[in-house]
Amino acid sequence: MPKSVTIFTTNTCGYCSMVKKYLSNKGVSYKEVNLDDEPQRQQEALALSGVLTVPVTVVEKTDDSREVIVGYNLAKLAPAIA
Amino acid sequence: MSKVHDLIIIGAGPAGLACAIYTTREYIDTVVFEKGVIGGLAAVTDVIDNYPGFPDGVGGLQLSDALQKQAERFGAKIEFGEVQKITKKDKVITLHTTDGDYKTKTVLVAIGSEYKKLDVPGEKEYYARGVHYCATCDGAFYKDKEIAVVGGGNSAIQESIFLTRYAKKIELLVRSTIKASSVLQKELQKYIDEGKIVVHLNTSVKEIKGENGLVNNIVINEDSKEEVMKVDGIFIFVGLIPNTGFLKDYVELDNIGLIKTDNNLMTNVPGIFAAGDVRSGATLQIASASGDGATAALRIREFLEHKKLATY
Repeated sequence: MPKSVTIFTTNTCGYCSMVKKYLSNKGVSYKEVNLDDEPQRQQEALALSGVLTVPVTVVEKTDDSREVIVGYNLAKLAPAIA
Repeated sequence: MSKVHDLIIIGAGPAGLACAIYTTREYIDTVVFEKGVIGGLAAVTDVIDNYPGFPDGVGGLQLSDALQKQAERFGAKIEFGEVQKITKKDKVITLHTTDGDYKTKTVLVAIGSEYKKLDVPGEKEYYARGVHYCATCDGAFYKDKEIAVVGGGNSAIQESIFLTRYAKKIELLVRSTIKASSVLQKELQKYIDEGKIVVHLNTSVKEIKGENGLVNNIVINEDSKEEVMKVDGIFIFVGLIPNTGFLKDYVELDNIGLIKTDNNLMTNVPGIFAAGDVRSGATLQIASASGDGATAALRIREFLEHKKLATY
């Protein structure tokens, strides 16, 4: 299990819902940063991911390493939270 | 031997989920495979105004959630993974997926389609850094900015209207004329009158350029005159292409890659059916995709009932 998970989302993003559902189904708790509610944090999402899109999922691991996953990408998300 | 399912549906969009609702209600063992988002393109559409039963329209996400819950209520199992290849031996069909091999008596291909690319310089380079194909996902990054939307069909107009909640100005670039429904055109006119959307007919995009890794202008050709347009981003909705690459050597496709079926929605391979946007002749509407899914379910049930299954 990761130390923490943060997801950058927007209100209307279908892929964001998929990531949240996936994490919930796996029993992984997460913190959500909704960029519609907190537009001032867009630059933070861009700096982390290098792209202007959501979802951006930031997985902090127990060894203090960090993985940033863009989109609903199970091939990366599944091992990152294992 | 691993379990042989009655039906595997590839794609959890409206066609696939409608089929799953029907088959699981009739105790047909059904697995649904989805590689992306449940609901498909419908899930990333802001508002669906023409799906029967919703007088005030329905959010794409809301409709997708409801379809998923309804299918799961009757026992549909939704698996996440990508089907890479299909093979058939005797009467057993094997789906080779990123999650291992799955065996089944029948398959419904309901994989929908994806947005077409413009295929111009800069499009790949600036993907998600100014070039976008999903307004509901990426629109929030363009608050008070100037953007271009490319396309003249229903999707382009609807997404332009959606993007007005963020962008201060939208340049709508249409290759020939606007072909969206009259209802959408009427709504579009309100935003044109307010000056939020400016329509450029007979206009094509030649190149997408940027600075510091993000888009900052595009080269367009308007009425045969080339010019540079300063924009912060470009959203592209110029039609759909089918996701049938993995099927091309197995089931018969038409000249644009859509799956050919008979009147029972069955392909040239017995036991493999197709429904929704991916079917040749489909009308690319969410309501008709759902109808296709229901029709396919009934035909699949008949196929399973009439089939001699003793060899399994």
